[in-house]
This record gives sequence, structure tokens and C-alpha cells, in this order.
Amino acid sequence: MDGWRVSDEQLEGWLVSLLDGTRRVVAPVAEDGLTLFREVTSADEIRLATRHPRTRLPAKETLLPATEVLFSYRLEAGGVALEVPPQPSDQVVIGLRPCDAAGTARLDEVLLADSHYADRRRRTALVTVACTSAGPACFCTAVGGSPGGTEAADLQVVPLQGSWLVRPLTDQGTTLVAGSAEGWPEASDEDWMAAEGQRRAVEATITTEPIPSEWVRGLAERFDAPAWQALAERCLGCGLCAYVCPSCACFDISDAGGALCGSRCRTWDSCGFRQFTVHAGGYNPRPSHLARHRQRVLHKFAWFPLEHGALMCVGCGRCVELCPAGIDIRQSVVRVMSG
Amino acid sequence: MSAVADWQPRLVALVCNWCTYAGADMAGMARRTQAPNVRVVRLLCSGRIDPLIIVTAFEQGADGVIVSGCHPGDCHYVQGNLLARRRLTIFSELMDFLGLDRRRLQLAWVSASEGVKWSQVVDEATAAVREAGPLRGFGRPAAGAPPVRFPERPSAPRPAPAPGENEATATALRERAASLLGGGEVAVVAGYAAGSLPGQMVPTFVSDAAGTEVLDWNERCLANLSVYLPELLRRDGRVGMVVKSCDAKAVLGLVREHQIDRDRVVLIGVPCTGVRPDGRLAAKCYPCAEAVSPIADMTAGTAPAGPRAVAPDPRDAEIAALAALPADQRWDFWQGQLGRCLRCYACRAVCPLCYCETCVTDRNRPQWIPVSIDGAGNTAWNVARAMHLAGRCGDCDECARACPADIRLDLVNRRVASVLEARFDYRPERAATAPPPLLTFLPTDPDGFR
Repeated sequence: MDGWRVSDEQLEGWLVSLLDGTRRVVAPVAEDGLTLFREVTSADEIRLATRHPRTRLPAKETLLPATEVLFSYRLEAGGVALEVPPQPSDQVVIGLRPCDAAGTARLDEVLLADSHYADRRRRTALVTVACTSAGPACFCTAVGGSPGGTEAADLQVVPLQGSWLVRPLTDQGTTLVAGSAEGWPEASDEDWMAAEGQRRAVEATITTEPIPSEWVRGLAERFDAPAWQALAERCLGCGLCAYVCPSCACFDISDAGGALCGSRCRTWDSCGFRQFTVHAGGYNPRPSHLARHRQRVLHKFAWFPLEHGALMCVGCGRCVELCPAGIDIRQSVVRVMSG
Repeated sequence: MSAVADWQPRLVALVCNWCTYAGADMAGMARRTQAPNVRVVRLLCSGRIDPLIIVTAFEQGADGVIVSGCHPGDCHYVQGNLLARRRLTIFSELMDFLGLDRRRLQLAWVSASEGVKWSQVVDEATAAVREAGPLRGFGRPAAGAPPVRFPERPSAPRPAPAPGENEATATALRERAASLLGGGEVAVVAGYAAGSLPGQMVPTFVSDAAGTEVLDWNERCLANLSVYLPELLRRDGRVGMVVKSCDAKAVLGLVREHQIDRDRVVLIGVPCTGVRPDGRLAAKCYPCAEAVSPIADMTAGTAPAGPRAVAPDPRDAEIAALAALPADQRWDFWQGQLGRCLRCYACRAVCPLCYCETCVTDRNRPQWIPVSIDGAGNTAWNVARAMHLAGRCGDCDECARACPADIRLDLVNRRVASVLEARFDYRPERAATAPPPLLTFLPTDPDGFR
């Protein structure tokens, strides 16, 4: 296996080399007491070490912007002029946790058919940082992930005692370190074992039981289970869970403007909203919190895996941590299956 | 840059049909010269000028807005301008707090015969906006928001509850709930139970005496349960609810606005020493003098005797620190905050007073609040939220707690509340006896119009 063991200075030197202006660099930074993904211009801003908390929000915005102009139009003398916004530059997203990168793989399943997304995705490299600890809401191991997972990552950085294991996983990842890696020492067998030991140690702290694969069908069959009633009782119908989720891909399309000029926008949307399904005539096929919460759970744990294989939840725990009503999607799954 | 040198301010005037529009007409007929920078939009009455119309003007490129209508006492619809006076007073204070330069929002009374005054208003407003320069953009400032140094929070005026205190309350609470349910007085009790995360307490609804075992009480019981009341009442008819004194103001608001029937609600007051979301006493609890809500129908356990230690709300010092900044810096601070808004509407969902069937932001004919999740749309949404809650907000801070982007909605609400108190002598507790302050007026209300 290819990989290097690098010091803090070498890692920083590499980060600085990425910031040479040829690409957009997005990384976790501190803002108003939060850790958030932001475009950075200097390596000092980057909070890579896992002693910093996981970012409050995922990096989804870098691939699926909360709002994106698909095209704009303008009435001119000769007719209507259409303009598609300029294509994005190359970007590298640094500091994703393995769950965040896995979320990107789920977005790919849904959105690669879209040219805007596909173009951005092709120009994006993902650099993940393996987790050295798990938070109380973390449950990646229950949904097929791992604190050392490599899914969708181009390059993985594993924090070790006082140094870093840098491990390219794709050609794009190799290219990212090409200039810097020449002077780096190869990682030794002990380094790989240390990384592996760390992964296992963190995995051991995650207590959520893995979701058995037969539950996918089981959940789909329990569409009418009475347990749903109590689960959705305290849901307040906001869209928070979808908006903080690294794998939720639903969007809305709206036109803004008038007869002379305007634009067509794509914005995030959430199945938690009543408006998500309400029809023009007023009929709503998902009329209650129950129906909407069930949709969220079943989409992630039944409909999506039935079609694509993997679960659509990556276990980052953000929705669990941030839900103002304290709804826990893990409990929903377990209670429906056991109730 | 020549673009700056050539810059001409653009102003939108929102005027009433009966007075100011006629006054502007008069100015024209009298061939008065005035600055050509103002586009006039005629509305039926200044009372019909929703703050969102003003925000929309700024969003769509206005550098300044003039709002004008009939003089007080002279309204074609008797009282529209008196309601507008209150609403626009609050709105202009809110926009000032959000960093909009005061020169950009000009309020004036102009009657049908005051053509001369109108042209003066136009000239002076244009000169003022020219001085203020182009409007700063909406959205997160490119260089990031300026770091605002908030004063250190003083230590809490009260210690955390002594060992055993919470357990005693919880035991009493379970007894109260079991007796209410067992005796058929209520069909459901809304309370708190342990959540799935360490230390987390979540809302729970218990429908039989045996189920009351899950009910618990401690300083992590953050949610304001009154948000569930209308739905629980519809479903179950009679409802018991665990209430903290901060939550009770929302109950008063729901009663005042005819959303719930107070006679079908039994409020179980808990002796509360203050909530501690992250181990520290919440800011709203510093000045709270009421261990048990005075409107509770019963108390779980015993209320502590005598007055308790209080301290000024530490957020007042934070608001003062923001208010002391130059407007442009304050604008950047708030655009940095609002730039994080995801439009998940958790703030709306947790708010007991946001009960509208269809929210203004979900209406799209016309679309007053842009759906785009960016600076302009986020500002419009947050201004609309603050204005709709002005004088209705019960100060429970649930919106700020729910916000996944940690936007300081509590500071916005509190600023609005303090203006309401200073100008109109209104406090949230008065929801028991007074009408919502923006739905009423006094002829003697303070007047910030020229």
C-alpha cells in the first residue's frame, strides 16, 4: 500500500502548496464558535486535527449548493437571451470525515445524472481525515461505514501520535500530493498497524448495533406499523434533518423574475415540510408528520437501498444531535422493526 | 473607479394614495424641481405597507426607501397610519440593529396639500442616501464577518439545583400527572423524558397513569412544550402540560390569540432554577424571578419560599456591544450570521406563536420572500420572522436553541422586545391583559416621522 508518514510541518507545507491559486480549497474553519466548511485562502485557517469537533454542517454545499442558478434569461431586441452561469473551477475539499465522504457517494447515485452536479463532482477532489474519536451521536459502523472508511475519498489523512499518515486512494489523490510527496518518508508497517488499531479502537466506542441487511425489506413491509405513530408525535415539521444531512439530495426548482429578466434556481428542499408534497389543488399525499417522518426513514433505510444497495444514511449523527424535538432516526428504525 | 463616481442613489417611495401621492402630484403641478432619484409606488394606505415590501425594495436594488402617508389623525381609513406608525417604528429600529444605515429609511407624513414638503422630503432623503453611499450587499461578506467581541458573561446568579432537588420535583410531577390522567381530568400530559443522547431531555406525551414513569425533570428540559398544545388539544380534548415560567408567556399568547382554550389546559408548574443547555445557566434565566410560573394551575413539589437571586440578562450587554458598532460593521456581522441560515425553518417550527397554517414564506403569489437560500432571501425571511413575532414573542428563546447554524435570533427578539418596552410600555407578561402591541395604537404614540 502506498502512503507516507509526514510531520505537522510537512502536512502544512502540502496544504500551503494546494493554496497556489489553481483551485478552490474548502476546509473546516472556525466561525462564531462553530466549525464549518468554508473556502480558505491560508493554511492557518484550516482546522484539520480531529481534536476539533466535526463540522456542524456537512460539505454538501460544495457539490450541491443550497441555491444554484441553473440559467438566467433576458428579453432582448432579437429575442430571449439565455445564460448558463460559468462552470465552477477545480476544487479540493479537505477535512471531510469518512461519513461525509460516504454521503457524497450517495449524492452521486442520485445526482450524477445532472450535468451541473456531474461537472462539479468531476472537478472536485475529496480529502478525508480519519476519526480519532466518536461523538455520542456517531453511528457510522451501524450503517456500513467506519471511522477509518475510505469510500469516495481521493486521499485519506490519518492523524497518528504527533504525525500524519497520508494515503492517496485514487489517481486524483496521487496528483494532489505529487509535488510534495517526493521528500516524504514511506509509511512503515507499524504506521499502518497504528492506523488500523486506531480505527478499531474508535469503532469499539460506537455502541449502536449494526442494522441487519434484511431490515431493508423488513422496514418496507412495515409501512403501516403502529409504531410510526409514537415516533412522529413530537416532530415539528421543520426541514432541519434534511438540511444538515450529507446524503439528502432533494431539491426544489423555482423561477424568480418577471417578463423581462429572471432566473431559474435550484434550492435544497426537505421532505419534512408539508409543502414538499402538497399538490396545486390542495391534496397532500403526505398529510401528517407521521407520513413525512416515515418517508424520511424509509427513503434512507428501505427505498434507496432497495434500488441502489447501500443505505442512504451514513451515520454522521447530525440530525440526531440537532433535531430540536430530539428525534433519533436510529430509534425510529429499531422501534419500527421491533414494534 | 468610475462606477462609484457616476453612482446615483436609487430611492423607492412607498406612499399612500390619499395624501402623499396627491402631495407628490401637487409638487409636480406646481413645477417644483426635485431630485430625480425617487421612484414612487402608490399603495392604498401607509397601514398597508408591510415591512417585506420595504425589504424587497432594498433587495431589488434600492439604496434608500421613503415611506409616507397621511398625518396622524388624518387617515382616510381612520387609523391605518397610526398602526403604520407603530409597525414602522419597530421595523426601523430592527433594521438599524441589523446594520441598515438609518439614513436609508426615511419616514414622513405628507398631506395632499404639502407639495412643497414632498419635494423637500425627496431632496433631503436623496441627499442623505447619497451621503450614505451604495447599499452594502446582502450575504456573507467576502472577507468574512468582523469578529465582534462580546463581553464575558458574568457568573450565574443561582447555583445548579442541589442533589435530590430534581428527583423530588420529578417524583411530584409523576404523581400530579398520574392523578390528572387517572382522574380523567386530562387525556394526555406533555412533559419531558430522557432522550437517546447523554443527558438529553426530549418532549414526551403520556396518555395513561402507568406511562407517567418516563416523566422526568432536570435543567436540561429545554423545549417549550406549548408549541404542541393546539395539536394536542385538537386530538385529545384536554391536556396537561409541564410548564416552566419562561414557557408560560407563550401559553398566554396562544390564549390571547384564541388558539387554545385555557379551560381545557392544566398547567403543571415545576420549580425551576433555570435551564442549563451546556452546563451553563441560559441567558434568559438570569433575570427570571419566578421559580414557578404564576399562571400554573398546580405545582409539582413545593415552590421555594422568598425571592430568589437574579441578575441582568447578559444578552443586554451583547446587544449594547453590537449597537455601539458603526452600522456597516453591524450589517456585516448580521449578514455573516444570516448568511448561515439554511431556511430549514426550525425557528418557525419550534415557535409556539408561529402557528399559521400557511406561512408568508410559503406563499408564492406573490413571492415576497425569495426562495433562494442566500443573503437577500435569508434577510427577508429573518426580518419577516422578527416582525411577525414583535409583541407576540414570549421570549422563550426556542428559535435560537433550534437554529442549527447558531444564528443569534435571541438577540434579534430581545432587541425588538426592548424597543417595544421603551416606546410602547409593552412586556411579554402583559399578554395576559393587553392586546398585541402592533395590532393597536395610542394617539399619543411616539412619532419618529418627519
